Amino acid sequence: MTLYEKTIALYPSLTNKDFDTVITLQNDSDGKGDYIAKWEHPTLAKPTAEQLA
Amino acid sequence: MSSVIISGDTSGSITLAAPAVAGTNTITLPAATGTAMVSGNMPAFSAYKSTDQTGISNNTWTKITFDTETFDTNSNFASSRFTPTVAGYYQIQGQTAFVGTVMTNQGIGIYKNGSEYNSVYLRSSASDLAVQVVNLVYMNGTTDYVEIYGRIVGSSGLYFAGGSGNSFFSGSMVRSA
Repeated sequence: MTLYEKTIALYPSLTNKDFDTVITLQNDSDGKGDYIAKWEHPTLAKPTAEQLA
Repeated sequence: MSSVIISGDTSGSITLAAPAVAGTNTITLPAATGTAMVSGNMPAFSAYKSTDQTGISNNTWTKITFDTETFDTNSNFASSRFTPTVAGYYQIQGQTAFVGTVMTNQGIGIYKNGSEYNSVYLRSSASDLAVQVVNLVYMNGTTDYVEIYGRIVGSSGLYFAGGSGNSFFSGSMVRSA
């Protein structure tokens, strides 16, 4: 399951617009995988590492 | 006030030659001081992706890798990253072809120092679509670098297509700092 899929499973109300504006998932193609580069959602808290594990 | 007048003649060319002496040869222009930029010291590069970049996660900005250099005049391009060693303003362009099943959104962006500088967003349902981003970027000539990132929203089989006509990254200096 990708980071995006885990995030959507945690917060099903998120939309593509959220990922255009207040949330950025990023992968630097360095072998370290996907990560949350920006989380500025006005009401939903940034997922913890435990929630995404 | 003195002036220099350059007049052409029937030979069809005018030559302005640097002095044939050792040391730094600089030209100082009125109302501006610095080293005149000439084509020989204005970095330029062009690279492309030779093979498909697969395994792209849905809705995730992913660095696009460019493994083949067409040219790199100042050896400033490495690891899919351009880090010019001459300060100035650079025109940067990147393109990739997005491929995937049931795509709905695509994005390509110039990233400066690891953060989005500017991006182009599309909302296309095409299964194969090339998109380009272009902008002018100031680079400090020491630590600043630029990369190209892409994002696809789709159901499966997402990748950036390889090939010099599909995915390329290029830039050149257009003005000194």
